[in-house]
Amino acid sequence: MREAVSGTYLDSFLYTVKLSALSAFLGAVLGALLTAAVVRVERPTWARQAVSSFAGVAANLGGIPLAFAFLAALGTQGLVTKMLGWFGIDLIGAGFSISNFAGITVVYLYFQLPLMFLVSLPAFEGLRPTWRETAANLGASPARYWWNVGLPILTPALLGGFLLLFANAFSAYATAYALSSGGAKLIPVQIRFFLQGNTITGKDNLGYAMAAWMIIIMVCVMGLYLILRRRSEQWQR
Amino acid sequence: MAKVTRERRTPLWAWTIIVAATLFFALPILAMARFAFQRVPVALLGRDTLFDRWTLDGLIDMFQDPEFRPALWLSLRISTFTVLLTFAVILPTALWVNTRAARYRSLVETATMLPYVVPPIALVVGAGGAFRDLVPWFLRSDYCLVPFYAVLAMPFTYRTLDTGLRSIDLRTLIEASRSLGASMPRTLFRVVLPNIGTALSGATFLTITVVLGEFTIASLLLKPTLPLYMSYSQGRNPQGALGLAVILLGLTTLLFFAATRLRRRGRAQSRVTIGAIT
Repeated sequence: MREAVSGTYLDSFLYTVKLSALSAFLGAVLGALLTAAVVRVERPTWARQAVSSFAGVAANLGGIPLAFAFLAALGTQGLVTKMLGWFGIDLIGAGFSISNFAGITVVYLYFQLPLMFLVSLPAFEGLRPTWRETAANLGASPARYWWNVGLPILTPALLGGFLLLFANAFSAYATAYALSSGGAKLIPVQIRFFLQGNTITGKDNLGYAMAAWMIIIMVCVMGLYLILRRRSEQWQR
Repeated sequence: MAKVTRERRTPLWAWTIIVAATLFFALPILAMARFAFQRVPVALLGRDTLFDRWTLDGLIDMFQDPEFRPALWLSLRISTFTVLLTFAVILPTALWVNTRAARYRSLVETATMLPYVVPPIALVVGAGGAFRDLVPWFLRSDYCLVPFYAVLAMPFTYRTLDTGLRSIDLRTLIEASRSLGASMPRTLFRVVLPNIGTALSGATFLTITVVLGEFTIASLLLKPTLPLYMSYSQGRNPQGALGLAVILLGLTTLLFFAATRLRRRGRAQSRVTIGAIT
């Protein structure tokens, strides 16, 4: 149990937690912005349904197709890399690579954003337009409305979304495995290595220990979330 | 209900975000589709070669591959059984919570979120360790994936069914049916289920997307499902595998869209009937 969190394995755990936290944070913030934007589109009624259908699919997307879609778009020979090149922007020269930390974060956002959208859509739809109008009538600027009314109401939903995204990234595995050069450091990939690889003998238990640690971390995050949610709900009544 | 007139204009910032998000989500898929259906290397891509050599050959090769059909059938069979298992287990739970045991609601809701807490890889490690010694035949069967997938899809399926059950006046419906002399099974099949048909179809589609996309568990238990086949055939026929991925993506999005359209219509109807009663 102790060996699973020492030396290189500790590095792996830190790397995984860092990646999950960063991609969950970005996903939560950008996803909430996206939801706020989509909620304001009312005209074709099917538009929102189309977006949420796509989000439902994209949130479950992962593995080879996703990894390859990004390689085809943002890899060294990718379509977007080339298109940016026409405009004189050198993405690779700027140090961007699809398989380093920043690159994997961007790829993760592809399924994190839709998940955040799905999770926070009901909350945003629950914000009554009349509240905004009331605030405006009382002389509040939009920024003040969001700071004093919108955000406090949305806080539990946004926190919950962040937690889900963290859990999602923490256990995401197929995508990182497919992008493997940077993904090999991720804990789920390492567990697979121990379960399947016969290269290191007598360490079968290490895989089980890592799996146990993963669950322990998730339970801690969940507990933290429950405390935070209780705090934020305190101001709701 | 009085209709509130409100400002319908979509502000500029919202459009900016939507356009940026559309680019972010569409470009990788377009790039993948181009790779799958056009045989021109990116380095040679320019204004002259943009419409050259588009082809479906990769996809056709894939359909003719002898391993493709078994993988597809296996995934479809597993989808079917997972949907059936979900309806056999999750539906009674949701019914029970909505009729008899409202105080267990939060407990059940927390339990259905567990698949998010326990990473799939940890799930398969634990379950694999336990079953390998106790019931070895279980992991050898291809259908051992069914319970795993039912659990993985649970956060989505339970929520969908629960929303469906909450949107109808369940208690009144059951009491009315029972007092008119219908048996409990008859009430279930002739009254309750037809009323939540749209939630049932939603849960079905969600389960199917989970099964068609799951890779981790299938690969660790060495079951030749469609996602696994796609990843293995990548080396032999990358264009076919990715073409299939693009098509699956489009198809599942359309299925989802159809399901949400249906669901919206169903909800609107049920709201009308409840509104007429109260």
